[in-house]
Amino acid sequence: MKSGDATTINIAETSGGSKGKAAAAPTIVATTKATKHAAAGWKRGIAIFDFILRLFAIAAALAATTTMGTTDQTLPFFTQFFQFQASYDDLPAFTFFVVANAIASGYLVLSLPFSIVSIVRPHAIGARLLLLVFDTVMVSLTTAGAAAAAAIVYLAHNGNASANWIAICQQFDDFCQRISGAVVASFIAAVIFMLLVVLSGLALRKH
Amino acid sequence: MKAGALDLGEASKGLAPRGGVNKGVSILDFILRLIALIGTLGSAIAMGTTDETLPFFTQFIRFRAKYDDLPSFTFFVVANSIVSAYLALSLPLSIFHIVRSGARSSRIILIFFDTAMLALLTAGASAAAAIVYLAHKGNARANWISICQQFNSFCERISGSLIGSFGGILVFILIVILSAVAVSRR
Repeated sequence: MKSGDATTINIAETSGGSKGKAAAAPTIVATTKATKHAAAGWKRGIAIFDFILRLFAIAAALAATTTMGTTDQTLPFFTQFFQFQASYDDLPAFTFFVVANAIASGYLVLSLPFSIVSIVRPHAIGARLLLLVFDTVMVSLTTAGAAAAAAIVYLAHNGNASANWIAICQQFDDFCQRISGAVVASFIAAVIFMLLVVLSGLALRKH
Repeated sequence: MKAGALDLGEASKGLAPRGGVNKGVSILDFILRLIALIGTLGSAIAMGTTDETLPFFTQFIRFRAKYDDLPSFTFFVVANSIVSAYLALSLPLSIFHIVRSGARSSRIILIFFDTAMLALLTAGASAAAAIVYLAHKGNARANWISICQQFNSFCERISGSLIGSFGGILVFILIVILSAVAVSRR
């Protein structure tokens, strides 16, 4: 006999020990319900932690996007034909960085309702699985943007003798500080995404 | 008595298809790991064996291009090697999951490490991709010349080695999702 959310085991009653076996059945029902309540509380805790992490990730990704997107440094000297100006859209890797972090921020804001759903209903698998799938893709996207920008930032700081690429940071100080800070914020967001994936995986376990 | 036997029969019928799908998921996971292993290993080798020397030289400068001239490429080779080694080590665990489809804790540990390796692989591949793009196109603003016009075969090698790595990234995303589905279905 199966009822709503607890299973009962039908024990065939013999004439001798019917009293003892009738007492055993209610205790089995009680223990399966208790396990489910404990699991729900633990999953709810994970979901709340997940929600808080998402808020931090929104802050990090937004910071990265805006810091990189508002870079614009013009040096106070110029020649007749050149004006020494550095902006994020001079380098395609930085443009990709801004786009990737903007997508990550937008996704995080949209995923907050789903996170709230998994707090309210701890046993809902669909919302958690959806979040896990998109979080995994976002890990990849955020890390890709951050790493590409980091490669260019490294080159801007150090240059490269073999390829004859000079380090532009020596001239563009403020620009360099901004892009370095933005890369750090983006890596923080990527680490938070990884934590979110592992948390969702933990919370998906069935008990 | 008869009602109890019927209940047991229905319960076992409900469990069998679930176990079968989990086994299929585990087998798919193993195959995907093999594909990712081949991809990342190929990328590491392709990038690591780059070495092109141009047939002319001046008295002071030597025109030679190797992967360790650029730190991003060194990081790329290291990252791909680490990920290949991890995949090779995780193959036995994947086989264990095929045999015992109900193991949950080991799957979650695998999810954790798979996510970390996904991030490492993506970082290496994108850093190398940024430098490869720069090598092809240069940058007018920063006065960085495109070196591909001189180093043809070097350029082709580094561009081609990115393919295996990015394929590995896609496969890793699928692996993480599959592991999560397997965890949630037990």
